[in-house]
Amino acid sequence: MARPDPLAGFEREIHTVNGVKTVVLTAGRGEPLVFLHGAGTWHGFKFALPWAEKYRVIIPFHPGFGESGDDPGLSDMHDYVLHYLDLFDALGIDKLRLVGFSLGGLLAAKFAMEHGRRVERLVLVGPAGLRGQARPTSDVLSLPPEQIPAMLVTNFDVIKPYLPEGPDLDFMGDRYREGGTLARLLWEHPYDLKISRHLHRLTMPTLLVWGEDDRLIPVQMAEIWRRFIPKADIQIFKGAGHLVLDEKREAVDAVQRFLT
Amino acid sequence: MSGNVRFNLMHFMPYVHLPENHKEFHSLWVDFPNKYYDPKRGHKLYQQYIAELVLADRLGFDAVVVNEHHNTAYSMMAAPNLIAATIIPQIKNAKICVWGTPPNLEYPNRLAEEYAMLDVLSQGRLEVAFPLGTGMEYWANPINPATARERHEESIDIILQAWTQDGPTSYYGNFYTYRYLNPWPRPYQKPHPPCYIVGTGSPETIALAAKYGFGYSSVFVTKQRALELNQQLRRAAAEKGHHIRPEQLPLGVIVYIAESKEKAEEEAIPHIRYFFEDALRTTPRFLSPPGYLSVDQLKKRAALADKLHGGFNFEAINESFFVAVGTADQVVEKLEEWGEAMGTNHFHILGAIGNMTHWKVVKNLSLLAQDVIPRMRARAGAERRVAAE
Repeated sequence: MARPDPLAGFEREIHTVNGVKTVVLTAGRGEPLVFLHGAGTWHGFKFALPWAEKYRVIIPFHPGFGESGDDPGLSDMHDYVLHYLDLFDALGIDKLRLVGFSLGGLLAAKFAMEHGRRVERLVLVGPAGLRGQARPTSDVLSLPPEQIPAMLVTNFDVIKPYLPEGPDLDFMGDRYREGGTLARLLWEHPYDLKISRHLHRLTMPTLLVWGEDDRLIPVQMAEIWRRFIPKADIQIFKGAGHLVLDEKREAVDAVQRFLT
Repeated sequence: MSGNVRFNLMHFMPYVHLPENHKEFHSLWVDFPNKYYDPKRGHKLYQQYIAELVLADRLGFDAVVVNEHHNTAYSMMAAPNLIAATIIPQIKNAKICVWGTPPNLEYPNRLAEEYAMLDVLSQGRLEVAFPLGTGMEYWANPINPATARERHEESIDIILQAWTQDGPTSYYGNFYTYRYLNPWPRPYQKPHPPCYIVGTGSPETIALAAKYGFGYSSVFVTKQRALELNQQLRRAAAEKGHHIRPEQLPLGVIVYIAESKEKAEEEAIPHIRYFFEDALRTTPRFLSPPGYLSVDQLKKRAALADKLHGGFNFEAINESFFVAVGTADQVVEKLEEWGEAMGTNHFHILGAIGNMTHWKVVKNLSLLAQDVIPRMRARAGAERRVAAE
């Protein structure tokens, strides 16, 4: 059986941002809602389509991930913040609603702490980047790739259609490329040493979303994030893992309600 | 075969006392529990292995070779310069090759200093290689595999600057800043010890050897691939204005000699099996940490790994790799044939392979020294005289 197109329902724009091919998926009309994806793009963004009923949903592939090009010169997370300043200029986006998942959650938090006046509302879904205390955040680079998919969800059927049925060199190569980009950014520290010092700058309405059974970045991390962002709301969804948006429509709806 | 024929003895110094259940471990590298290392047995092994290197010198080998690996029973040489320093007073004639410490795993100035110390201590008998380091080393050391190749090139630049320019100089790089690059001591050999790149055939490493005109030795590639790599290097180096000489292309060969082919195989195969099946056992993930290879290389190697999968088969190993197990006559014939094909006169002998027992290593080296090395030297010498007339 052919795998479903993980990008069905989106239009595709290609931009060149400071020399880097940047592919942007869009759907819907309205005020801009930017979603920053995590370190694996293979399961697509179907979950985000309901948001397109009210917003212009914009999902850029980060350089080094998915369909965007590579630029080894983008070697830390702050380079990605600056990349998005360039991209938003190209797209004519000033103020935005910003949703970031996992690695994209860290990126969204960093963007928002530096450019808070542009971010009207911020949603961090299972964000990476804080060093865990009592229960360390899993270091995705320490996990064998073949073990990762099953760790992402409570219901494997949700992602199964997007995975190859047997050995697949192209799929392996694509994941290796994304892993290499991640290593470039986070090999030395699989967390951001400075972020907790600056999170107080997130003064816009902020929502933390977590799957209760997240086995990659445990749900206990939600309270640690809130320690640094006291006004943030937390919504935790039962029966969901790290890919809480893929697994739970309620989580997608909760994000939409919060953004509106 | 032209020029002086050269014979190295390479030693891996493996820790061979594995637990009975070791087959249950997917890798003897990176995460193989170090509780299985017994220092008392380790001490005895060091004594044995050092004696074997010293024997090679006494028997007339041209060089002894050590190298570096981490977190593994494959090798007890996490710091090969310590082994080199230990053996220098005992090795009277042979060159000492540290092939080598991956520059990424030390500060470049310090590696330049350590190699210079060894060169001075040995009165100019040091040769070095600058490996990138296997993927496994990047799981064991706090260095980013995704930027490893850029760092590697910068490290080599710094070491060469330290050796070739009178200090103090400065260096402002992407990874290292040196305000006073001025290492003491300086190498005994001028401008510096002979340098090699050792690699598994990535195009990036070939390009690096070509850029500097360094020697190159491929490891763990098939015969056909090794031939292609030597040709690629000669071409690439010529484009950079370097002529690669035969002695710059060490050819790694597993050699074991006995009275008959049957006896040689009977004595050697269990240890060759151990080398491929156990000592080298690791996972694709450890071999290729993220960003260590280009995606293209990863796919090529994954496809090759699928083909090679299926356990140890001596016939297949014998066919694919440079393995000469037999009588002295048979070994001479193979070495001369391969040397000719590969355009080299430099034989890098893996003569203490896997968990080979001491008496077999002694026998093997003795027969090499008695029946192979003098004959090949004499024949190369005769060819040289004919050519001169």
